[in-house]
Amino acid sequence: MMQAATDAAAHPAHEHPQSFWRTYVFSVDHKVIGKQYMSLALLMALVGGLTAYLIRWQLAWPETPVPGFGWMPEPTMYDGVVPPEFYNALITMHGTVMIFFVAMPFLLGAFGNFLIPLMVGAPDMAFPRLNMMSFWTLFSASTLLMASFFVPGGAAAAGWTGYAPLSADAVFTGVNWGLNLWILALALEFGSFLMGGVNFLTTAINMRAPGLTLTRLPLLVWMQLTAAVLFMLSIGPLIAGALMLLFDRTLGTSFFLPQRGGDALLWQHLFWFFGHPEVYVVLLPAFGMLLEVFPVFTRKPIFGYRTIIVATIATGILSFLVWAHHMFVSGIDPRLATPFSITTILISVPFAVMVFSMVASLWGGSITFATPMLFALGFLATFVIGGVTGIFLGAAAVDIYLHGTYFVVAHFHYTLFPSVFLGGFAGLYFWYPKMFGRMLNETLGKIHFWITVVAFNGVFIPLFLAGAAGNMRRVYNPMQYDFLKHLAPIHQFATYFTIVLLIGQVPFVINFVWSMFRGEPATDNPWHANTLEWATSSPPPHGNFETVPTVYRDPYEYSPPGVSEDWLPQYTPSPLTGGAR
Amino acid sequence: MSAMSVTEGVHATSRDFARQPLGKVGVWWFLASEIMVFGGLMGSYILSRIAAGGWAAERAHVNTRLAVINTLVLLTSSLTIVEAHAAVDADQRSRVRTFLLATVLLGCMFLGIKAFEYSHEIENGLTPASGLFWSFYYTMTGLHGLHVLIGIIINFSLFVAAGGRNFSRIQHRVEYAGLYWHFVDVVWIFLFPLLYLA
Amino acid sequence: MNATHKPGVGYVTIWVYLLILVAAGVAVLGAPVSKTVAVVLIFGVAVVKATLVIRHYMHVRQQPLMIYAMLTIPVLLAIAMTLALLPDIGLRP
Repeated sequence: MMQAATDAAAHPAHEHPQSFWRTYVFSVDHKVIGKQYMSLALLMALVGGLTAYLIRWQLAWPETPVPGFGWMPEPTMYDGVVPPEFYNALITMHGTVMIFFVAMPFLLGAFGNFLIPLMVGAPDMAFPRLNMMSFWTLFSASTLLMASFFVPGGAAAAGWTGYAPLSADAVFTGVNWGLNLWILALALEFGSFLMGGVNFLTTAINMRAPGLTLTRLPLLVWMQLTAAVLFMLSIGPLIAGALMLLFDRTLGTSFFLPQRGGDALLWQHLFWFFGHPEVYVVLLPAFGMLLEVFPVFTRKPIFGYRTIIVATIATGILSFLVWAHHMFVSGIDPRLATPFSITTILISVPFAVMVFSMVASLWGGSITFATPMLFALGFLATFVIGGVTGIFLGAAAVDIYLHGTYFVVAHFHYTLFPSVFLGGFAGLYFWYPKMFGRMLNETLGKIHFWITVVAFNGVFIPLFLAGAAGNMRRVYNPMQYDFLKHLAPIHQFATYFTIVLLIGQVPFVINFVWSMFRGEPATDNPWHANTLEWATSSPPPHGNFETVPTVYRDPYEYSPPGVSEDWLPQYTPSPLTGGAR
Repeated sequence: MSAMSVTEGVHATSRDFARQPLGKVGVWWFLASEIMVFGGLMGSYILSRIAAGGWAAERAHVNTRLAVINTLVLLTSSLTIVEAHAAVDADQRSRVRTFLLATVLLGCMFLGIKAFEYSHEIENGLTPASGLFWSFYYTMTGLHGLHVLIGIIINFSLFVAAGGRNFSRIQHRVEYAGLYWHFVDVVWIFLFPLLYLA
Repeated sequence: MNATHKPGVGYVTIWVYLLILVAAGVAVLGAPVSKTVAVVLIFGVAVVKATLVIRHYMHVRQQPLMIYAMLTIPVLLAIAMTLALLPDIGLRP
C-alpha cells in the first residue's frame, strides 16, 4: 500500500512527450485502448447492421433487388438480388460479427479496459503492453474476417455455429478459404480476449486502491471479472475444436467427418460448451453497466449488493451445466435431455434474483430519465422478454417444436440486442463525458433511444409469432413453402422496422461525432456519482490519478442519512467523522 | 522510455489475497486457460478412442521407445530450468546461463526426436489423413510441439538476456518461463501414456 | 526481490523419483495384469509425476489458495466435460 503511494508520487500523472503513433495508435494507455476497442466495435456494428438489412430484405421480398446494393458484382449478388449462397454467408457473418466483433469488443474490450483500472484506483492495467497487443490481435482478426468476403468462394457460410460436417469439408458449402479465414479470425479473437482477461483479473485482484476491499468493488467490476473467468474457462475446448476443424478442412483429418470415422456431434458439444457461457460473457458486463447507472439516476443504493454477487457467481457456475439445451434435437442421447432441461430452468433462478434486485433498486428512488437511464430501463424491460422466452426453449419437449425456428432467433435477439445496444449504449451515454471530456446532447440521445427501442421490438416481436407458426431459420426463402406463405406480412413488417432501426442510429452517430468537438465540456463528475473514476478529470490524465485515491466506503452511498448532499463518494473521507466510516 | 509501464513497481495492496507479483498471477491465469485447451483435446481423444474400440492396431505403429526418451528429456529439462530459477535467487549469473542453455538444448532435442518420429511415420504413409487416431496423434503432439518451440524461444531469449547488463531488472521472468515450461512438461506427462502406453 | 524457494526435498532428488516413475510406467506394459488395471496404474503413475512437478518445481505449495483454485477448477471442469460427453460421444456405436 505504501509502495503504491510512493510509486504514484514518483510517477505522477504527467504527459510523456510521445509521437502521434505512440499516443493514438500503438498506445499502451488503457483509456486509449478502450476507445480503440469501441471504434472497432462500432465500425463492425455497421457491417453487422448491413448484413441484417440484406437478410431482412431477402426474407420480406425474396429474390428482389435490395435497394442500394445494385453495385455488388456477381457471383456475390445478381443485380442487387441475394442468391442462396450469399444468404448463407450473410447469416453466418451477421452472427459472427455481432457476437465476436461487436458485443465482446464493445462491452468487454471498450468498457472493461477503460473502466476497470479507473474503478479500482490503478494507474493502468497490470500489463499495458499485453493490453495493446490484445487490441491489435483483435484488429488483425477483424481484417482477416473482412478479407474472407473477397476470396474465391466468398465468406464462411456454415452459420456462426459452424456445425460439422457442413463446415468440415469445403465441398459441402462451396466455401474454401472463406471458412478457413473464419476459423483463423476466430482463433485470433479468442487469443485477444484471453490476453484481455488476464489483464482484467490481475488488475482487479492485485492493483486495488487502499481501502478497496472486494465487497466495496463496483458491481460492474464484479461482472467484468466473472465474465473474464467464464470466458477463460470455457474457451479452451473450442480452441481445440477450432484447430480440429481447420485440420479437417486442410489436412484431411477425421475429427468431425463421419465418412472418415469422426463424430459430427463432437463439434457441437465443443462449440456449445463454450457457446453457452459465452452468452453470459456478453450479458454480465451489460448488467454491470445497468447496475452502475441505476443508483446514479435513482439517487439510492443498489438493493442487494451481496445477493447480486452471489447470484452472479451461481449463474456463472450453472452456465457450464446447460449447454446441451442447444442440442436437444441434434441426436444427443435422449437421457441427457432431462438433466439439461432441469439445469436450464434452474439458471433462471439466479437471474430472477438479479432482476428483482434491479427492480427493487428502482423502488422508491428519485428517478431522473436521462438518456443513460432510459437505455438502462429499456435494457431491463426488453431483456426480461428474452429471458422468459428462454424458459420455453429450455424445456426439451417444447424445444422439439421450437428449435431451429424464428422463435429461437427472436429469443436470442431479445437477450443479445438489449445487452449490447441498450445496456451498452446506457454505458456509452453515461461514460462518454469521462472518456471524451464532453457531454452528449440529451435531445438526440432521447430520440436515439426511443427509435431504437420501439423499432427493435417491431422487428422481433413478429418473429416470435413466425417461429411459433413453424418458420424455420437459416432458410433463404421461406415463401417457397405453402405453409409459410401467410407469414409474408410478418416478414415485411419486421423488415420495415429493421430499416427504421438502422436509420435510427443516425442521430447517435451525429451526436457522438459532433459532441466530441462541440459538446459542452464535462466536469470531473457531471452525474454526481460515487465510484472512483469520477474522482479524476474528464478525460483522466495519463496515469489516471494525481495521487492514489483511498476508498472509505461502499460504492452506492446515495442519499445517505445525515449528509446534506444526496451522494457520498467512495473516495472522500466522511464529513461527519473525518475518517473512514 | 515511452515503453516503460506506469505500473512498474506497483505491487499487491495489503487487502488482496493473491499477494504475488503481477507477472506471476498473469502466468498462472494463462496456464489455467491452457489447461482447458489441452483438457478439451485430451477429453475428445479419450471419448473418440472409447467409441472406436481402443485403436490397438493403430497404436502399434507409434514409437514408444523414442517417446520414453522424449519423456526423460523433458523431465530433465524441467530440472534444469528450476535449477536456473534457483540460481537466479542465489544471484549466480553464470549458473543461470548454464541451466537456461541446458533447458534450451534439451527442448531442441525433444523437437528433434519428434521430427524424426514424424518423418518416419509419414514415410510409412501414416499422415494426419490416415484416420481418427492419427488425426489426434498429430494434432495433440503438434500443438504440444508448438508450445515446446515457443518455450525454447522464450528460454533462449532469457539466456541471451542473462548475459547482458539489464538482466537484474527482468530476472524474475526466469521463474515465469519456468512455470510455463513445467506446464508444457506436465502436458507431455499425460500425452505420453495417452498416446503411447495405455 | 523474489521469495527464495526452499526446495525441502532437493530438485535432483525429485528428478530421480520422476525417472523411476517413468520406468515404472513402462514396466506396467509388460506386467501380467488386466488391461483395466494397466490403464489405472499407468495413469496413476502419470498423476504422481505431474503432482511432483507441480508441487516441487512449480512451488505450488507456496502459492496462495487462489492459485490452487485456478489450477484445480479447470482440471475438474475438463474431466467433468469428458464424463458428461461419455454417453453421447464415447459410448455410441
